[in-house]
Amino acid sequence: MSLVGASAYALGEDTRVEIVGVDLGADEPRETARRRLAWEVRKRTSIETRLAPRRARLDDQTIFETPFLYLAGDEAFEPRSEAEVRGLRRFIEFGGFLLIDDASPHEDGFDLSVRRLLRRAFPTDPLAPVPPDHTVFHSFYLLRRPAGRVRGPEHLFGITRGGRLAVAYSRHDLGGALARDNLGTYRFEVTPDGERQREVAARLGVNIVMYALCLDYKDDQVHAPFIMRRRPGRVR
Amino acid sequence: MAAALFLVFAYLVSRGAGTREHRPLFVLEAFAALLTWLVAVQPTFVKELSSSEPGQVIALVDTSRSMQVARGSTPRVEIAARAVEGLPDEVTVFSFGDEVAAVPDDEPLSATAERSDLGRALEEVALTEDLGAVVVISDGALTDLPIDPRVRVHAFAVDPDGELMDDSVVEVAADAMVFQRQVAKARVTVRSLGRGAQVIPVTLSREGEVVSETVVTLNEEGVGSVNLEFVERQLGRAVYHVSIPTPDGDAVPKNNSRAFLVDVVRDRLRVLLVAGHPTWDVRFLRELIKKDGSIDLISFFILRTNADLSMANPDELALIPFPTDELFREHLGSFDVIVFQDFDFGPYQMEGYLPRIRDYVRRGGSFAMIGGERSFSVGGYAETPIAEVLPVTLPPTTAGTRSLDLSRFSPVMQDEVARHPIVGLAAAPDESAALFRGLPELIGSNRFRGVKAGASVLLSRPRGGAPILVVGESGQGRVLAFASDGSWRWGVTAGGQSGDASVHERFWDRVLRWLARDPRLEPARLSTDRASYGASAIMRVRGVLRDASYVPRDGSVALSIVALDAAEVEGEAEAESAQVVRVISGEIEAELTAPEVAGAYRVVAREVGNEGAVLAEEAFVVETSGRELADPVARPDVLRELAERSGGSFHDANNPPALSQLDTQRVRHDGVQRIAPMAHPLTIVATILLLGAVFWLRRRRGLR
Repeated sequence: MSLVGASAYALGEDTRVEIVGVDLGADEPRETARRRLAWEVRKRTSIETRLAPRRARLDDQTIFETPFLYLAGDEAFEPRSEAEVRGLRRFIEFGGFLLIDDASPHEDGFDLSVRRLLRRAFPTDPLAPVPPDHTVFHSFYLLRRPAGRVRGPEHLFGITRGGRLAVAYSRHDLGGALARDNLGTYRFEVTPDGERQREVAARLGVNIVMYALCLDYKDDQVHAPFIMRRRPGRVR
Repeated sequence: MAAALFLVFAYLVSRGAGTREHRPLFVLEAFAALLTWLVAVQPTFVKELSSSEPGQVIALVDTSRSMQVARGSTPRVEIAARAVEGLPDEVTVFSFGDEVAAVPDDEPLSATAERSDLGRALEEVALTEDLGAVVVISDGALTDLPIDPRVRVHAFAVDPDGELMDDSVVEVAADAMVFQRQVAKARVTVRSLGRGAQVIPVTLSREGEVVSETVVTLNEEGVGSVNLEFVERQLGRAVYHVSIPTPDGDAVPKNNSRAFLVDVVRDRLRVLLVAGHPTWDVRFLRELIKKDGSIDLISFFILRTNADLSMANPDELALIPFPTDELFREHLGSFDVIVFQDFDFGPYQMEGYLPRIRDYVRRGGSFAMIGGERSFSVGGYAETPIAEVLPVTLPPTTAGTRSLDLSRFSPVMQDEVARHPIVGLAAAPDESAALFRGLPELIGSNRFRGVKAGASVLLSRPRGGAPILVVGESGQGRVLAFASDGSWRWGVTAGGQSGDASVHERFWDRVLRWLARDPRLEPARLSTDRASYGASAIMRVRGVLRDASYVPRDGSVALSIVALDAAEVEGEAEAESAQVVRVISGEIEAELTAPEVAGAYRVVAREVGNEGAVLAEEAFVVETSGRELADPVARPDVLRELAERSGGSFHDANNPPALSQLDTQRVRHDGVQRIAPMAHPLTIVATILLLGAVFWLRRRRGLR
């Protein structure tokens, strides 16, 4: 692919890709994470992102205005209303993508609440590990495993609907690796591999957004030979 | 029953009559009672009256193509013609084949029909009043036999021996549609009459060139089948011939070769989608195309530009070079539809490929440009070869952001395009318009300078009427310009708001199929009742004729037949043979006569006037053989059985009997006769007298 400047025009801020936060009634644990992820995506790829993303409840019609939701938390949350569960179900059914980020992966509170919510919304589609050869790990960067503020489990979890990964669930505190303070300093230490692991987390975030927009595009026949040639020993 | 009642009554009376001398009286009383009862109920006898008399005679002459076969040196149809001449004038003569028709006195019989439907012919003539008998003159090689003749049939067999020496290609079974560059098969069945088991060479040829050769082994009954393979490389219709050698003494040389027509298509619609960057519009369009099993999608997205900092070595990225040369030089012609979705060509050294894309469109390819911040003028396409084929004119590239309108809007559809398949998504035009009004707003659009002549604006902004969706043609190709990158909102957003997310998929499915000239979405098309005809056979042609806006045409069109490989229809020559047909609500129906010479042809519908622009056409084949000649053996046994079953007789058409020798009697019903014996006045008088006598005798004997 050539590396030549793209036009800076846009059909308005509303047409950009927005990482909408799910409003559960409490503050987000990593309040700058979504903005940082949007920035990383815009800086590293050709995707035009909205840098001041909004939040919305699951029962808010505006979630259908941009099909990417980011649900982060570090503690258990109350069971959501039936309208919210129905809203989430419809959002996924009509093509939306949900990224769930557990900011306290060493505790069970948020995890149990998430699993309860997903069981209610998708009773026939259980969360399952995302295999390491899934497109989400080579949608832009070639990645071997997920990472965040913590090294976490070897894989993401996800729900597949209609052949696409519709829900991706990270227990690595992805937002914790990306969040910065007002001075631009990273807010959290990344363990155990430090800045190298933080870069992997940023790349995972980019890959997830890229996957939501391209799905299995990178599995098309035209890409396969190139990707297969690069994979051995090169993946970070 | 009356007699039985009488006896019972008389017995009962006699038992209770007391003395022996009174018994005759009581018997008399019983008889009087019976008589009275019969007079009261008035029994009536009904008798049907009929008589027989000579009825009308109708002759049915077989004019199917099997009647071309000669018995000795005389074709069967000539034997039939002589038999017809021998019939008296009072006999009405009809031919039967594809249909039943009167035989004019001054025209020779011709055997050109593709069928010999005797069953239907007998059903039709059986309705004739005073019909006494039907004389059937035929070889017995019938397509359809009558189940119940309902009329007396005298059969004149033109070939009562039924013996024939003939090799023939009985059947060629090949798919009407084959895929380009894929192996296709034709199963050929060969039969040899009178020569039994043998091995016969079979040849498949296309436009005179041998494509495949093999042999077929015939069994003891002289029948065998073999598969022939062929690979068609050119799209469109192709005519093939299967042939076997013609041995000496072969009765029907014509049936040693058969033609068949195949429609060569791509196995799947091949679409190239190039996107300037990943967007929701790109995601959802690609997703719906990928889901469609009938479409082969090649997509290429620009995931990174030189302004982006990927923070990684190339080996850590799943990115590949943009294969411009492969896509736009090597494989360009293999695509049915090319879509540029918010893609700017400038950064990718593509200037040299733009003329190729323009020429691809003009040669018959299809091209669509979807809007966005990298499309049309802002994408640098003004005054490029791409701009030459687009259905809109573009503002200069220097207009920059002025060629974008960032406001939200709901596109509107004009009434005159409401029937166009791309926007006519609902059953009725007003429902389609309402459907678009009810969709989520689009966000921003590209601006055009104008719309080219001949192009159609399908959707526009509600205020000011700026065109949003424009379609048209460039050379032989179709082009589409869509000024928005927000149609995905007709899926996800509409689904969230109303529960119906289907418009996005339906809209783009129609777009792609219209661009690829899906026959179902063509404004005008013709069809023939068969793909293959015999020489001079009757063809039934139907057509749907609508204008470019899909409004049904009215008025008249000229239908004519030209050779399939004729580059251009010759106006004058064609005009002489053209048949003017009335168009009613956009539909036509007509009968044409197939050419006499075997070959591939097309039937063409032209406008009457306006320089006779071609509206629609359809290809067909004329065979010298065909189904009727594939099985020409005479079946006198069939005729004999029919005659016996109907109460008729069987004869040799070479030596036909006089009409007077045939049973042509018909039964005439003369009504019914009713007899009521107890209604006669004498019967009534006798009954009264008998009752009086009984009364007198009882008084005389002192009985009460």
